[in-house]
Amino acid sequence: MDSPPGFTDEELARRRAMSRRLAWILGAVALAIYLVGFIYYRP
Amino acid sequence: MSTAPSLEHDTSHGHHAAPYQGGVMRWLTTTNHKDIGTMYLTFALIMFFIGGAMILAVRAELFQPGLQLMQPEFFNQLIGVHALVMIFAALMPAATGFANWQIPLMIGAPDMALPRINNWGFWLLPPAATLLTLPFILALFGVGDGAVATGWTLYAPLSVQGGMGVDFAIFSIHILGISSILGSINIIVTIFNLRAPGMTMMKLPLFAWGWLITAFLLIATIPVLAGAVTMLLTDRHFGTHFFNAAGGGDPILFQHLFWFFGHPEVYILLLPIWGLIPHVLGTFSRKPIYGYKAQVYSFIAIGLLSVVVWAHHFFTAGMPVPALLYFMYSTMFISLPLAVLFFCWVATMWRGAMSFETPMLFAQGFIVLFGLAGLTGLVLADVAADAQYHHSYFVVAHFHYALFAGGIMGVMTGVYYWLPKWTGHMFSETLGKWHFWLTVISFNLTFMPQFFLGLAGMPRRIPDYALQFVEFNAISTVGAFILGFSQLIFAYNVYKCVKGGKKATDKVWEGADGLEWDLSSPPPHHSWEVQPVIK
Ligand code: HEM
Ligand SMILES: [Cu+2]
Repeated sequence: MDSPPGFTDEELARRRAMSRRLAWILGAVALAIYLVGFIYYRP
Repeated sequence: MSTAPSLEHDTSHGHHAAPYQGGVMRWLTTTNHKDIGTMYLTFALIMFFIGGAMILAVRAELFQPGLQLMQPEFFNQLIGVHALVMIFAALMPAATGFANWQIPLMIGAPDMALPRINNWGFWLLPPAATLLTLPFILALFGVGDGAVATGWTLYAPLSVQGGMGVDFAIFSIHILGISSILGSINIIVTIFNLRAPGMTMMKLPLFAWGWLITAFLLIATIPVLAGAVTMLLTDRHFGTHFFNAAGGGDPILFQHLFWFFGHPEVYILLLPIWGLIPHVLGTFSRKPIYGYKAQVYSFIAIGLLSVVVWAHHFFTAGMPVPALLYFMYSTMFISLPLAVLFFCWVATMWRGAMSFETPMLFAQGFIVLFGLAGLTGLVLADVAADAQYHHSYFVVAHFHYALFAGGIMGVMTGVYYWLPKWTGHMFSETLGKWHFWLTVISFNLTFMPQFFLGLAGMPRRIPDYALQFVEFNAISTVGAFILGFSQLIFAYNVYKCVKGGKKATDKVWEGADGLEWDLSSPPPHHSWEVQPVIK
């Protein structure tokens, strides 16, 4: 396996950064769903 | 290490150092997707036997009418903790173990995208499981009155009044939920960002698709469960009245919140399985998977529908007729995409060059028995009929055809299918076949009578029963003990396979298709140093 057809180092770093961003967003969504229940007022 | 670009180059030191530590520290600090997958699967197997032991005690009590072995309070605790353990500590961790092992291998990624979160997601589980079961032990020393005794659904007002086992369960569920959300986030970002070049979403292996939908469902519904149990906690200790009618609250609200999570949960448990079954069927039929796109769209449709049908779990609690009709029809509607899946499974085998190794046997057993779960589900979805069946043993039989035959047997399909890839050894086919046939026969012996018990009116969750139910209960108990002990064959077979055995080839199965089979068996510690390129 010497001719690397896959990602370059930079590409991989970029993808990892993207992953971290998306992870924070998904985590925030989960937290928001949890919190909205306490704010939501049921008449 | 090769000079090729790899994920490790820019990750934490821990990620790099972990593989070189020995003993306990290796497992505590590992960020390798295979190590973590192995831990999830091992944990699941242990909890499967613990949950199984609990329910065998229950079945022993139910062998005869009257109270022989235990007090009703303890009986209730065993039933509730059995369900929570099996769902949260056996089935879900097993599916996450599969995801950890297989998703990077199948999509050509070097590892999961967030390896440290991955480690954390696993290590939250043992404390959570301990919390859930600890009240049993504490009660032995005279502390508290035992574990949660409300059933896994934790319905108010029972759970508002219950003992400290409820608090333990609430805390445990919070931790389990955080673990599931961390795992889900990791799976989503890995699938979105680390697919090998050329692997478009419509070339993604079905197993990864199934898990992707599961992960989104978890992120959408676990917070609702967490919210519901937090409200329960504040009702119990901080003077709120969310579920207390005397204080202006509404106990039915708890049922809505619980099942808004609870119904999607059953699809959460099964979507990873529906993802892996086609791979197995294709392999042993030596044919490509039939209807890939139809299956992907069915997964998405089931995912979307699963969050809008929750109230079919409490038709009998009372609701306006239009609501009854809506929940009845929407529930029945889910069987359409499900039928598409069944069709594709059978069509994949159709005119194939089939052979019947253990994974294939389990996959086919799955199709037949899980089919019965779907059909009996349709009966339960009928509002008029459900008034008769609700809270009876018919429901218990229905969901064990779904969760044992669908869930556990699906997990076993996956274990038998991938174990040679993971360990580099073949397991014993003979023992595998014994395990399969004993499981299928004793499973039906256990749960088929429960349909008839339910139809005849035996309620669930009671330790004593009327005399007309004697025979079916005795049969069911005998079946359950055979079923339980047959699983030891599985554990032994897996153990032997990990320890040694005939060398597995890289491809393992003649008809295997997919990236993971290009790697050696077992795969190298860092899966894909160089990403494969998909045509
Ligand atoms: C066509 C498919 C299905 C339909 C129409 C259906 C319908 C229903 C209905 C109406 C109930 C409530 C019965 C009652 O309490 O009176 C129910 C219970 C249940 N179903 Fe299904 N179901 C289907 C498939 C599944 C699947 C695939 C699973 C699991 C993976 C599952 C797991 C469960 C569980 C766990 C319960 C009982 C929960 C409890 O009360 O403890 N079902 N089903
Ligand atoms: Cu449901």
